[in-house]
Amino acid sequence: MSNRSAGPIAARDPNNDTSQAYLPDFCAASTLFIVVLVAELIAFALTLASYGPDQEFLIELSKSSFLILWIALLGTALMCQLKDYLERRGPTRAFVIGFILLVLTSLVIAEGAWQLTRIFGESLIIDDTHATFMLRTFAISSIVMALAMRYLYVSSEWRRSIMLEAQARISALQALIRPHFLFNSMNTIASLTRSDPSRAEEAVEDLSDLLRANLGNSTNRSSLKQEFETAAIYQRIEKLRLGDRLAVRWDIGSLPMRARIPSLTIQPLLENAIYHGIELLPEGGEVRVSGRRDAEQLEISISNPVAVGETRSSGNKMAMSNIQQRFELAYGSKATVKVDSGNDRFTVTLRFPLDEEES
Amino acid sequence: MRVMVVDDEQPARERLKQLLQGEPGYDCVGEAGNGSDAVRMAADVRPDIVLLDIRMPGMDGIETAHHLNTLEHPPAIVFTTAYDEYAINAFDARAIGYVLKPVRRERLSSALEHASRLAPRALKSVATEARMSTARRHICARAHGELRLIPVTDIYCFRADQKYVAVDHVNGQDLIDDSLTALADEFGDDFIRIHRGAMVALRYIDRVERTADGRSLVVLRSGSHVDDKELIISRRHLAEARRRLKGV
Repeated sequence: MSNRSAGPIAARDPNNDTSQAYLPDFCAASTLFIVVLVAELIAFALTLASYGPDQEFLIELSKSSFLILWIALLGTALMCQLKDYLERRGPTRAFVIGFILLVLTSLVIAEGAWQLTRIFGESLIIDDTHATFMLRTFAISSIVMALAMRYLYVSSEWRRSIMLEAQARISALQALIRPHFLFNSMNTIASLTRSDPSRAEEAVEDLSDLLRANLGNSTNRSSLKQEFETAAIYQRIEKLRLGDRLAVRWDIGSLPMRARIPSLTIQPLLENAIYHGIELLPEGGEVRVSGRRDAEQLEISISNPVAVGETRSSGNKMAMSNIQQRFELAYGSKATVKVDSGNDRFTVTLRFPLDEEES
Repeated sequence: MRVMVVDDEQPARERLKQLLQGEPGYDCVGEAGNGSDAVRMAADVRPDIVLLDIRMPGMDGIETAHHLNTLEHPPAIVFTTAYDEYAINAFDARAIGYVLKPVRRERLSSALEHASRLAPRALKSVATEARMSTARRHICARAHGELRLIPVTDIYCFRADQKYVAVDHVNGQDLIDDSLTALADEFGDDFIRIHRGAMVALRYIDRVERTADGRSLVVLRSGSHVDDKELIISRRHLAEARRRLKGV
């Protein structure tokens, strides 16, 4: 019961969910272990590359290890403390700020090491002038930190895209087995088995195709043709139920059907248009799906009339933000997902670069 | 027994009609695709039982049941629903009859057998528990034996008039039996009480004017044909009315 009442408050915001995943948990012991391991490997590599004939390898190794471990451990502690602050800054900024802070940390430690060797009169430990020592530390730590940040960034984006993909699949499936849709469709089929057996047969086939399309192969891109076909099947099932109340105008003739698009985009949007629009209108209305192509960009928009004062808020934002994030991941700033609710109509417009499949 | 079928989806009505054909003693005497048609038709065909879908656009099943209750011969009601966890819990708690879609024959016959009239209070608590709006969206008025459903959004004001309450709305005036106090409870969010015997729709108020003798008068938006001289704010309601009008 408590679970249920907490529902609307704890409404899952996928933006929030994914933002937690940019950075690894630097406070965890396992992360610390990996950091130490990598630090040692770097120390090893640097020593191998630089020790001369009159130097003892292990002594050189221990010197660079000492410096590098300090940098690594202090850097990890810093990232652990600043994790929440960085997560709030969004992915790109988090990595840039992280990079700057870590390079500064290594400079501070290098300076500290230099001063300590002076104070204790052991200046021979660092056989270098102050300026070149700092410069070398700066160059090496910049390179290493840049690589590390790049690695973390790429792997976090990869994790995010996998998660969004799975989320899209799950929410599409959830919508299909949404009791409201499933039981009403079953009731329709039960009714048709007597009055119109051949249409009942078609309805069962359509429902199966729809389930198959959603369960099916887990490619994350499909062609416009496939996407529109799935949407058309969905439309047929809803049409049986809603009759004349549902009209859909497809104006997509100018779109290249072989163009690729993140999968599970059109059908969920059509479903939103019906569930949040048409179904709430006693007289029904028309969903408009239109598409056009200009140069290297495609634009698809789906709009539905809105019932005054009626809202079904649940689920809508979830699906929208999922589509938004997947377009962003797939095309970066070259794609936009725009939502417009003026003029008694709710319109979603997708713009994304043309990317045609080879036949 | 005369049965009426109400559902916004045609195949769902078809299904119920098919099943009713197999029930000896029950006749389908009419079907309606929305709540308002259902209420009007029920006043005509006087069904004994109404099979009523809960989730319908416009006027939902609970409100329809509410209006059916005010008919001269209120029918017994059996709700139908595809899935509605909260409503079902509420029905179970109050032994209100319902059938789940897809509808099973056995379930339908037992629901028809046990169909009973619903008390308005039970309906209200069902609406609350099912998280549906408890305020009606229509007011049901009878004039010369004819039934009228007035959308609440069309109403300018309610005025108590000895035995009845007069409702001024976009299409004229009607009289209803409800008490002004009950109406104030139900529609308090969209209407303000201006004196003991009148309640005005916030959305139609244009401004408040001061008369020569120092009284405050509500002026409605142009086009609302209500005798403005009557809409005087009593001293007791003035502060509250001012406060609520500020937000408009």
